[in-house]
Amino acid sequence: MQQTIEEITKELRQELIKQLNLEDILPESFDENTPLFGEGLGLDSIDSLELVVLLDRNYGIKLKDPKEGRHIFYSIRTMAEYIHNNRPKA
Amino acid sequence: MDGKTQCYINGIGIIAPQKTFENDQFLTEISTFNQNVLTCITPDFKAYINPVQLRRLGRMLRIGMTAATICLRDAKVQVPDGIITATGYGFLEETEKFLTELLERQETQLTPTYFMQSTYNALAGLVALSIKCTGYNNTYVSKGFAFENALQDAMMQLAEKNSSNLLVGAYDEAANVQYAINMREHHYKSDHIKNSSLFESKTGGTIQGEGSAFFNVSGISSDSTWCVLKDLQLVYTPETEDELSSALTSFLNTNAISVDEIDVWINGASGDVKNDRLLTSLENSIFKKTPQVRFKHLCGEFCTAISFGVWLGASILKKQFIPEIVKFSSMKSSGKLDIIFIVNQYLDRNYSFLVLKKL
Amino acid sequence: MSQRVFITGFGIITSIGKNAEENFQSLVHRRCGFGELNILHTIHQKTLLCCEIKLHDQQLRDATGIKAGKGFTRTALLGLIALQEAIYSAGLSRSEIHDSGLLSATTTGGIREFEKFFYRLLDLQQQGDFVQFADTANPGEHCERMADHVGIKKYIATLSTACSSSANAIMQGAQLIKNKKLDRVICGGTEALSKFTVNGFNSLMIIDPEHCRPFDSSRKGLNLGEGAAYLVLESEAVVNQKGKKPIAELKGYGNANDAFHQTASSPEGIGAFNAMKLALSRAEISPTAVDYINAHGTATENNDLSEGIGIQKLFDENVPYFSSTKPFTGHTLAAAGSIEAVYCLMALQHQVIWPNLNFANQMSELSISPVTALKHVALKNVLSNSFGFGGNTSSLLMGSV
Repeated sequence: MQQTIEEITKELRQELIKQLNLEDILPESFDENTPLFGEGLGLDSIDSLELVVLLDRNYGIKLKDPKEGRHIFYSIRTMAEYIHNNRPKA
Repeated sequence: MDGKTQCYINGIGIIAPQKTFENDQFLTEISTFNQNVLTCITPDFKAYINPVQLRRLGRMLRIGMTAATICLRDAKVQVPDGIITATGYGFLEETEKFLTELLERQETQLTPTYFMQSTYNALAGLVALSIKCTGYNNTYVSKGFAFENALQDAMMQLAEKNSSNLLVGAYDEAANVQYAINMREHHYKSDHIKNSSLFESKTGGTIQGEGSAFFNVSGISSDSTWCVLKDLQLVYTPETEDELSSALTSFLNTNAISVDEIDVWINGASGDVKNDRLLTSLENSIFKKTPQVRFKHLCGEFCTAISFGVWLGASILKKQFIPEIVKFSSMKSSGKLDIIFIVNQYLDRNYSFLVLKKL
Repeated sequence: MSQRVFITGFGIITSIGKNAEENFQSLVHRRCGFGELNILHTIHQKTLLCCEIKLHDQQLRDATGIKAGKGFTRTALLGLIALQEAIYSAGLSRSEIHDSGLLSATTTGGIREFEKFFYRLLDLQQQGDFVQFADTANPGEHCERMADHVGIKKYIATLSTACSSSANAIMQGAQLIKNKKLDRVICGGTEALSKFTVNGFNSLMIIDPEHCRPFDSSRKGLNLGEGAAYLVLESEAVVNQKGKKPIAELKGYGNANDAFHQTASSPEGIGAFNAMKLALSRAEISPTAVDYINAHGTATENNDLSEGIGIQKLFDENVPYFSSTKPFTGHTLAAAGSIEAVYCLMALQHQVIWPNLNFANQMSELSISPVTALKHVALKNVLSNSFGFGGNTSSLLMGSV
């Protein structure tokens, strides 16, 4: 059975903390609506590339153009929604 | 430019296998290592690097950034006019991580962070970025000459514009990969020894070390300045004792220094009986009567270990004190410590002479 | 008053030629080195096209006289070929070579061999021919091997500042001469393709699978290349003493840091502007005296914008002819600075500007476009740009004598 958006969100919290080495953030307190880039968490273009790889490795979604990431990676919530709607069917 | 190049030292920051930060002690608490690998004693990095930058940095980048930060604070300089770094092997941990992922994943789905952090100039770039230093920026990777090349570069910049202020630093890490390679090349001792017994062991091979040292240098002295690096020279693959000692004598003459005027000579012997041969011959000839100290039992051997030696010499001049643990002969009975002479070797190929003078 | 620095010889090997003459002919006849990878084994062989030198390592050894089993990496072999040509072209004697400095630059060193034998090297139980490459990964190693082989002893240095590396090597060589540390320095860089770099740049998503289009509005990224080039720099005193006719003068150089991002240049072109400005002020010439710029022009969205803006800012209404030669050779990373310096010297020798291939549409952010056809023009002062990761920006100003 396919994962729900909430389940993906929970997974992403852990994954982002691990992949991006966000040492001081606890999964429980990682707000799914906080903007990841710019003012919010302050991630940058290299982190964006890390997330492109995460999408591929963990969810089988390949982004050809890194610019597509701008909207997808806005927040954990938007990421989860995109994954839910675009991941290849098992 | 008339060929006279020198640099005033205004501040130092160093992270090494001995406690060299946040203390007024000068090599009184000594760390010992028994496995032929000496690793750095590190502070809480959060006190030196902002958290946004910190999270992405591998261990050696953290160490290098911290040494650079301590140096700038020591020299009371916010933004220097340029940054020059030096390393022998670069960021091996990151190189190994990227390479391992590449091989295991067969070149698919690779992330960029380790690749970026493995570039040799990553530290010079990072320091420039963190303090917004838009001036001169360069990195040397010439094995046992890297740090000396960096100093030479800095000295020439300062000869051209003596009002300039530069940050010159070195880093090398005691990585597993490098240990394995050097064991293959028989560069490290096969038996485990205690680092303090390095020079008692009469076998081939040395011990692995690591560290990062940054120096703030300028063309004119300031309130923070206490000594000057008057000159340096590189000698590549001297074949005989004569070749090295003639180069040394010539260097002393050019700088109008007689051997008697040298208060302490710092011997960059590595504990490898074969590679130390020419330094041993200098010890028994030109420097027969000169008080001698050594340092590689404290920091281990690595391409840029000479930076620890320069820190040692500069600190001796600042504190007018020679720690017991570095003494390898009797010292002059009294008097001011004024001139320190350093002779280093790496793999019996990269030799260098440096002379430090108290202001 | 510091003495002048002259260029008296050069050597080069790239995917468009094994030596200077072949490179020159390829530039004139628009022959590029872009294509599938046949020598480097990688899964990207047919998809991430590069500018590979179509010579196996054995052929490179044959060209240099190096026997197999001596631990010469591809990077070292390419470097040696170019170094030998440079020495020959400057007509240096054995003792002159002995008393020269060698400043070589690389970003990869021997990583190509290291990645091939990685697991075997780390397993100390394993033995074999591969052991010759045990300690050749580190970047300084190639320079020492090259120096030992040709007999250079006076001064050795290896530099690594990403894509500006060999430009910095040339600058440092000039500094050593001006400060009377050396009369003669051979400077440049060398780079072999490797899985490490191909995959590294691919992970940054800045490679164009098609032939790159510098300064074009639809550019999608760079093509990687391999190669080496060295310049022989000699002091004014030596040139006069020997009655040599130099090829050109290294009149100015500038090194600055963008301090904007680890792998991207500032959109305002601050680093580019500063490096070029420093080069001109050291040369004591005004922007209007520059006749041609060999741009870094990697065809990444970021570089060409940053560099273009920097050029416009510095030269204002008088932007000289400019072009990127990277469609010919690919981006040869550390070797780019010296390879393109050689192309600038050839431009001065033949009074010709090289075309910027694959350009069709001007970038909307710029009011300037590169030269797209071979152009015969009077050239006196030529600027060469090299910009790299870590914010390193460098520019060289060469002038005819």
